[in-house]
Amino acid sequence: MASIGTDTFFASLSELNASLKAREFSAEDLARAVSQRLQQLGPRYNALALPLHQEALRQAKEVDKELKRERYRGPLQGIPYGVKDLLAFAGQPTTWGAKPYAGQVFDYNATVIEKLSAVGAVLAGKLSMVELAGGGGYRLPSASLTGPGLNPWDRTRWSGGSSSGSAAAVAAGLVPFAIGSETSGSIVTPASFCGITALRPTYGLVSRHGAMALSWTLDKLGPFAHSAEDCGLILHEIAGGDSKDPGSAGKSFYYTPQYARPMKDLRVGYAPADFAEWAEPSTRAAFDAALAVLKASGMQLMETKLPDFPYGAALSTILAGEMGSIFEPLISSGKVDELADKAQIAGLKASLELPAKDYLKAMRLRRVMQKEVGRIFASVDVLIAPGRAGIASKIDQPLDRGAGGTPPKDPGFRAIIPMGNLAGLPALVLPCGFAENMPVALQVVGVPFAENTLLAIGREFQSHTDWHKRRPPAA
Amino acid sequence: MKLTRRKLATVLVSATALAAQPPQSAPAPAPDSDLQTARGRQQANAAALSRVPIPMATEPAFQFKA
Repeated sequence: MASIGTDTFFASLSELNASLKAREFSAEDLARAVSQRLQQLGPRYNALALPLHQEALRQAKEVDKELKRERYRGPLQGIPYGVKDLLAFAGQPTTWGAKPYAGQVFDYNATVIEKLSAVGAVLAGKLSMVELAGGGGYRLPSASLTGPGLNPWDRTRWSGGSSSGSAAAVAAGLVPFAIGSETSGSIVTPASFCGITALRPTYGLVSRHGAMALSWTLDKLGPFAHSAEDCGLILHEIAGGDSKDPGSAGKSFYYTPQYARPMKDLRVGYAPADFAEWAEPSTRAAFDAALAVLKASGMQLMETKLPDFPYGAALSTILAGEMGSIFEPLISSGKVDELADKAQIAGLKASLELPAKDYLKAMRLRRVMQKEVGRIFASVDVLIAPGRAGIASKIDQPLDRGAGGTPPKDPGFRAIIPMGNLAGLPALVLPCGFAENMPVALQVVGVPFAENTLLAIGREFQSHTDWHKRRPPAA
Repeated sequence: MKLTRRKLATVLVSATALAAQPPQSAPAPAPDSDLQTARGRQQANAAALSRVPIPMATEPAFQFKA
């Protein structure tokens, strides 16, 4: 068995694939090393829901046979990865991070897993998550079957949710990439807190067949990785139409950064208040430096305002309506009380009382919002904002604790996460510095199916910075 | 005591009404403060939505596509 050093666990997908092709180590060597690391260090961050050691070795041996025959399937061939434990993997528990579903086993694979398997990627484990992806509105990071997600940069802080394990596992070098999900913030938040690159794809671009449904019109699956380049390579493989997903857009994605528009032609909308007023003071220097990098690349930064709408109220209402219907059997049976977080239990129960008129009002308003948001993109190509306004919170700190003080008058892009999710817009998270030794990140949001533009901006940014290459202290 | 038909009917109706009453239940539990908070949040969201005028012809974003 070839020796695999720590650097390998943080290598890019292209580097790993090149090493496999060059027989520096075998796919089995890599799968064994990653599985061992995941099982050894995963619990340290409460990131591991289920190790799949034997399955990974079996898959890897198949890959080795193919590589021996020089049958190449693309850049993910032989690369181990993890998935958020809301994706079905046949014959193995899929808990959705929640005690009432601890024994749940499906007899089929999620489409994303099938697609990754088809190109030779090796599933090494299932990763922890906030119970039921946090749809009921949780109060504490401990709202998970596997305990609070601990941040690899500081285990006294939260890894973010609801894709807690996906973000922590990639940040700590436990898997080269992972798949997570977002309904409203569940990719953007943990990626920002853990200092890794992640992509929330356009609604409908990646099939959700085999994924837990939280909200039919909001749920999306996306990659967590070490760079924009890696996210592009992963999206290339997992995107595509799927008749098993009623929300599928029926579109494919071809990662073609070489055809991206020149950076100097890109107009970037931003709200100065986000960076100067809403961002926590300790993070502002990092954000200022990041904006300077974008400007130096030739991008035109333009002050922009979001149309004034109650985005958060609309999203919460739509989520409550759909979630209440989906989880009605859990709620009505009383098993909802087995969940870990009282606020989450209450949110789920209250969702059954949501009047139909409120859901329909939110869905009608959503159409108006989509139209108005679309107008912004007549004058800018992308929007940019902090991934989160501050660093990861302490693990015992309630999440509904207000920031305190008087909020700034200018709302800036405070609502960019609910706005982007209501409109189904893609977002790329880019680590952009540190504050109090914790990562901070930017999010870049574009029009539907503009992933190549976002990834080109990410590549450009990461060609001038090395924040995405930084490793947590214990890793 | 002589029981007239009318008196008998009155007794029977009263007995039926009594039987239809739910049994005396235990005192109602204290309201779940988390549930009250969640309900309050939903009501606040509804209030925020109601402040935005929507053209009557606007249909919900069913068949949602980005």
